[in-house]
Amino acid sequence: MKLSVMQENLARGLSVVSRAVSNRSLPVLTNVLLKTEDAGLKLTATNLEIGITYWVPGKIESDGATSVPARLLTDLVNSLPGGEPIILELGDGETLHIRAGQFESNIKGIPAEDFPTVQTAGERPITRVEQKILRQALDETAFAAASDEARPILTGVLARFEGDQLTLAAADNYRIAVKRITVLDPVEETSVVVPARALHELARILADTDEPVSIVLAHSRNQLLFHVEGVDLVTRLIDGQYPNYQSVLPASHATRAILDREELLRAVRPAALIAHESANIVKLGVGLDGDPGITVSANAEVGDHVGRVEAAVEGDGTTIAFNARFLADVLTNVDAAQFALELNGPLSPGVFKPVGDDRYVHVVMPLRTTS
Amino acid sequence: MTQAHPRTILHVDLDAFFAAVEQRDRPELRGKPVIVGGGGPHDRGVVSTASYEARAFGVHSAMPLRTAGALCPRGIFLPVDGAKYQAVSRQVMAVLRRFTPLVEPISIDEAFLDVTGSRILFGDGEQIGRQIKDEIRSAVDLTISVGVATTKLVAKIASDLRKPDGLVVVEPGTEAAFLAPLEIGRLWGVGAKLAEALRDYGVRTIGDLAGLPEDLLVRRFGKHGAALGERARGLDADPVGGRDPAKSIGHEHTFDVDTSDPDVIERTLLGMSEGVAGRLRDSGVKASTITVKIRDTTFRTITRQRTLPDPTDLTEPIFRTALDLARPEVRGVRIRLLGVTASGLGEREQLALFGLEDPRRRRAVEAADEVRHRFGERAITRARLVGSRLPAPFEHDPMSPLEARGIETDDGGRADGEPDDRDTQDDTTFAEDGLDVT
Repeated sequence: MKLSVMQENLARGLSVVSRAVSNRSLPVLTNVLLKTEDAGLKLTATNLEIGITYWVPGKIESDGATSVPARLLTDLVNSLPGGEPIILELGDGETLHIRAGQFESNIKGIPAEDFPTVQTAGERPITRVEQKILRQALDETAFAAASDEARPILTGVLARFEGDQLTLAAADNYRIAVKRITVLDPVEETSVVVPARALHELARILADTDEPVSIVLAHSRNQLLFHVEGVDLVTRLIDGQYPNYQSVLPASHATRAILDREELLRAVRPAALIAHESANIVKLGVGLDGDPGITVSANAEVGDHVGRVEAAVEGDGTTIAFNARFLADVLTNVDAAQFALELNGPLSPGVFKPVGDDRYVHVVMPLRTTS
Repeated sequence: MTQAHPRTILHVDLDAFFAAVEQRDRPELRGKPVIVGGGGPHDRGVVSTASYEARAFGVHSAMPLRTAGALCPRGIFLPVDGAKYQAVSRQVMAVLRRFTPLVEPISIDEAFLDVTGSRILFGDGEQIGRQIKDEIRSAVDLTISVGVATTKLVAKIASDLRKPDGLVVVEPGTEAAFLAPLEIGRLWGVGAKLAEALRDYGVRTIGDLAGLPEDLLVRRFGKHGAALGERARGLDADPVGGRDPAKSIGHEHTFDVDTSDPDVIERTLLGMSEGVAGRLRDSGVKASTITVKIRDTTFRTITRQRTLPDPTDLTEPIFRTALDLARPEVRGVRIRLLGVTASGLGEREQLALFGLEDPRRRRAVEAADEVRHRFGERAITRARLVGSRLPAPFEHDPMSPLEARGIETDDGGRADGEPDDRDTQDDTTFAEDGLDVT
């Protein structure tokens, strides 16, 4: 194997695939696979849950493949001068020679045959979605997925394809985010549960462009693959039945407040600092005593805080307590100027809907407090 | 507390508790120097309790076992049987509660009693002290030393004065005179450093301290100084059972030999998490914050805490969180002490979208609790903990009903109370006389 690539291109490719490098102790999984393919250099990394493949344009003199420690190669390439070609050559004893201008390094590798097979796009995609639309949908949902493994299905995001609609739902048992987007090619009804971690990585790869990302469901239906120009991300899917979230979305409300998202976020932040000392409880008073506004308060041994934002309130005044983090999450991640907050008293779920967009809904369960 | 209505407070202290229990159960050990600790005379570790026969050789608690072995070569070295001592301790506390509901256990082998309201039933402090001694002898065949005074401070010093099997009564009004000749180190809150600092002012006895002008003490020692002067005169308004309801439930363990073994560390955390979870369930509360405490060989102590998404009274989430918090801190470090504390008891309840907890798991946990309550702490345990020797934590008040501990038992109940930084942080080092109240 001998080839040359530009430093910038190799550095960019390594930074993308290194997101999939395992931090587990199995040495080959901490490596990145380098393989010449289609007149370029293919970089692959995997942690067995997700795999990322990146094609770096280059000039191939002879074909070949090897794997070397990803972290070391990435750091090394980043430290080499830009604007210059890097020559990679596989020598004896699985040693990768790296030459760039006046620099020359050798890194010991592990044979490519020992590297696990990572799927790349081969099968026909089930559909395509505009990258920026999918990216926004992921930003608005994936954060709500569970981060602890107590119930593995909730660490995933439900993706339900039906016709030209894709519905993404993520929940961690205390909140749920649901977003509906339009896909470019109609699909017959299919539901899969994709690890949220994989979708966080996908969101980093997707660009702010109308260019589509292709979605491929492996024949075995146990892997989902996303393909954009020059990059593939493949993820395993989570087995199991996703809970019936539709049944927990409230159908009606007793109180409705139209509020400015950024204003409420600015009011939640200082309250959250105090709440941090007391189980993260932030209380909202919505339209109390006819007040056209929302009070945001927190109480802890260390001190207390109260703030107020204007809001257009219809219906009964009420109070409700939320985990400050859940409030901050929905207010930070969702791209909307205004929210409608719909409530049914202090012990029923709170519903956040972007005003003028019926394709997104976010439900947060309240905290029962003793005071 | 005004002098017009003096309280009657008893401090009760079991004599050489661990060693006495062993001598009681094994008559062949009576009259012999018994040393209870983490091992034999050639092991590392320290003496937990020495019998009076062993003390005659100069052996005392917290002394390295090797030193004890050298001082007392014919000493009989026994391991610490925490579960047994805990059981006896509960029996003793139960006897004490026959005399007053105001019992404040301060360690496995000592307690304060406020018998002010019991005098009409049982006679004065001295008479109550004698009856308690008799009843404890007949109930558990152990001797205690009792101090009787108007304050906790003086009662504790008095009980320590004539051990074993002592009874020292300090009459109301004579507290200052009683304390005056005693060496300064006997006063609560006066450690070696403070004693050294006080020596600069010519203070050697508690009376010397009482004679110092208060403004001098305040200038030199700040707020602590004023309290020090009051204590030296026998003034101490601290009520018995004045401990506010538990704000947290915790368990600490000091290793006999410092360790960096990840398996030992994990198992210790698991054992402590299991204990903490069991006590949360016994108290009918859930905790929302988990704190781990780590002290290394150099006595550097750190704490790390995390608020759980969902309050819990189960071992797994507590253990998982504790392990998560501890792991980065213990890597490659020799650890002296580990602690797991659950706090934020019943402060809140995060309502859930989907019922998550597996009801079968809950039933299994409740069944195991039932077995433990009937047959003792060791009757059922996790396979991973079999053979590990984590001593049971000292429970401040295991016998009192939950309401008396300020913990409501109904759903959504909580431990209410005044803001307070005290908690039921338990140290299971079990060094006798090692739990000083400061």
